[in-house]
Amino acid sequence: MNRREFGGLTAATALAMAGPFRAFADETCQSPYMPKITGQEEFVYVWTLGVEGMGDEQDKMVTVDLRPGSPTRGEVIHSLSVGGRNEAHHGGFSADRRYFWTGGLDTNRIFIFDIHSDPAAPKLHKVIETFVTDSGGVVGPHTFFALPGSMMITGLSNQDDHGGRTALVEYNDDGDYVATYWMPTADDMQGAVAVDGAVADGYGYDIRALIRKNIMLTSSFTGWSNYMMDFGQMLQDAEAMKRFGNSMVLWDLHTRQPRKVFNVPGAPLEVRFPWGPNANYAFSTTALTSQLWLIYEDDHGEWQAKSVADIGNPEDIPLPVDISIAADDQTLWVNSFMDGKTRLFDISDPHHPSQIYEKTIDRQVNMVSQSWDGKRVYFSSSLLANWDKKGDDDVQYLRAYNWDGKELVEDFNIDFYAAGLGRAHIMRFGSSALYSA
Amino acid sequence: MRKIPMAVSVTCAAALLSGVMALAGTWHPADLLARLTPAAMRSPLAPFSAVFPTDPAFQFTPPEPGSYALNRFKPAPNGAVLTTDGSSFQLHDLFDGKITLVSFVYLTCGDVNGCPLAFSTLYDIHDASAQLPGLRDDVQLMTISFDPERDTIEAIAAFSHPVTSDPASALKLDWQVLTTADTASLQPLLDGFGQVVDRGGADDQISHLLRMYLVDRSGMIRNVYGLGLIDPRLLMGDVETLLLEEQGA
Repeated sequence: MNRREFGGLTAATALAMAGPFRAFADETCQSPYMPKITGQEEFVYVWTLGVEGMGDEQDKMVTVDLRPGSPTRGEVIHSLSVGGRNEAHHGGFSADRRYFWTGGLDTNRIFIFDIHSDPAAPKLHKVIETFVTDSGGVVGPHTFFALPGSMMITGLSNQDDHGGRTALVEYNDDGDYVATYWMPTADDMQGAVAVDGAVADGYGYDIRALIRKNIMLTSSFTGWSNYMMDFGQMLQDAEAMKRFGNSMVLWDLHTRQPRKVFNVPGAPLEVRFPWGPNANYAFSTTALTSQLWLIYEDDHGEWQAKSVADIGNPEDIPLPVDISIAADDQTLWVNSFMDGKTRLFDISDPHHPSQIYEKTIDRQVNMVSQSWDGKRVYFSSSLLANWDKKGDDDVQYLRAYNWDGKELVEDFNIDFYAAGLGRAHIMRFGSSALYSA
Repeated sequence: MRKIPMAVSVTCAAALLSGVMALAGTWHPADLLARLTPAAMRSPLAPFSAVFPTDPAFQFTPPEPGSYALNRFKPAPNGAVLTTDGSSFQLHDLFDGKITLVSFVYLTCGDVNGCPLAFSTLYDIHDASAQLPGLRDDVQLMTISFDPERDTIEAIAAFSHPVTSDPASALKLDWQVLTTADTASLQPLLDGFGQVVDRGGADDQISHLLRMYLVDRSGMIRNVYGLGLIDPRLLMGDVETLLLEEQGA
């Protein structure tokens, strides 16, 4: 067998894991190092914010049954509270997909759930209480991106001023601290080059990697002082509104060193790479300027960033949040929080995306997850505890839809408030088929 | 889902590695020498990762050795292992104060993105090391079976034969192929490295994640490689980085 024989494989195949861990019916846009679910997803785990005066008031991991034919399909079958409210936010599986790491943006606690021993009933495996001291002052553990043997965690803030300057923090799979990589700033570029006059602001948010190109991309949001502030109050605070990230950073994946800083104004949030073997680009959206951005390798092998489409009417500030690329790289779901809409873009020409569909999910919407075959699309509602809408507009849910290529048709809807659970945030799929033991 | 034969054919196991050796290299030693600059030939370290041709699967220029730091992930675990002559050793003793590239495999693995990929990459490195004979004092390769029931001492000995019988083996890196007495003694090693091996089902199936580990002279894991990063240029660039680190570079 010749290693070089693998050169012609597609990226998705080349990145498949040895053994039976093969695609092809899984959530897209996660770490390519992870094994994929074969067949139908069986569970969706919803990392849920506790609400004062509701239920046990605690953040919790909620498990919803997705098994076809199950008598409890579409219902909550397990809930595990973690003690208090931590501003539960994002999470990601370890590369072996046996553990689900989640973070609290306020308390900086990291909760690692064992999801392989009993995928229908996750157990709390470990809690990391020392993220801030381990990392040398990073605050707000956000994205959890699996690497072989370790977890790369983006921060949103720092202990010194609770602003947006932050870092990437790496832990090994045992949950032991490994290293901190501070974002480049204008005063300390760490060898990175600013593209087209970009100013490195040191902010952070999301991270994804394109392994065959040995690169990572990070985006930027805002610090603790903003994301813990009441949303309406913040919008009226001119100084606070200046404290949003305007950059994305290209890193060397292997060395964890920043290489380029791009000017991407208006808080670029989620970063998503497609799967195709020749797809040398990524998408992001800007929360405040409501644009779809393409970060791409040009004909000269240089990486560039440019705005390629508007999302809704930018003047209305629809506030794009989560995005999801279909496994065939042809379409992109874009949720916008303020108008509660999801929009589908045709991205077959990534330099010229065009909207082909939209639907109002509810009065607010945040996360979107689609199955690998694109036929099932799930939405959840919460953005941040202090940023969610108020009164009757504060609806909290997990909604499942079937996508037939033309229309989203609702499958089931779980009202998280009616169930006394809280605010539904990030979703991740699970399946017992991943684990034979 | 792949089924594992209940009995290992040692002949097949040896043939597998023979096949790997026959197919792995598309370059010739003469090509390799042509790649070496005069300055590089004076230093056994600087050109090492550069001797590997660029593979289309790895679409990047590898970072310059020594231009980055390698993290300390955790100590490599210890435990009893068996060598090809049946001797029992503690794994830490076999590290022998060298930088070690560790991989876990099972000899009958037929997944093109699994063990054969590890084999062929290690063979590329092993074969190229003949051009840098001094490196064997500092660096070694190590392969540990995670299927001890089938990968017996006889099986690993047969598997290793093409390496141990290589007339140029004295110039190349040592390549230790190890097994364990049973799965109970293997498990601490798997757990300690973080190598996931999933056994289960009525058909005696084994599945695993492809991983390689770089262990420094002190027994600390300094990098973990998954599919997509099993690039000999990266692996040997990291070895060079450790050697440069030792030199205070």
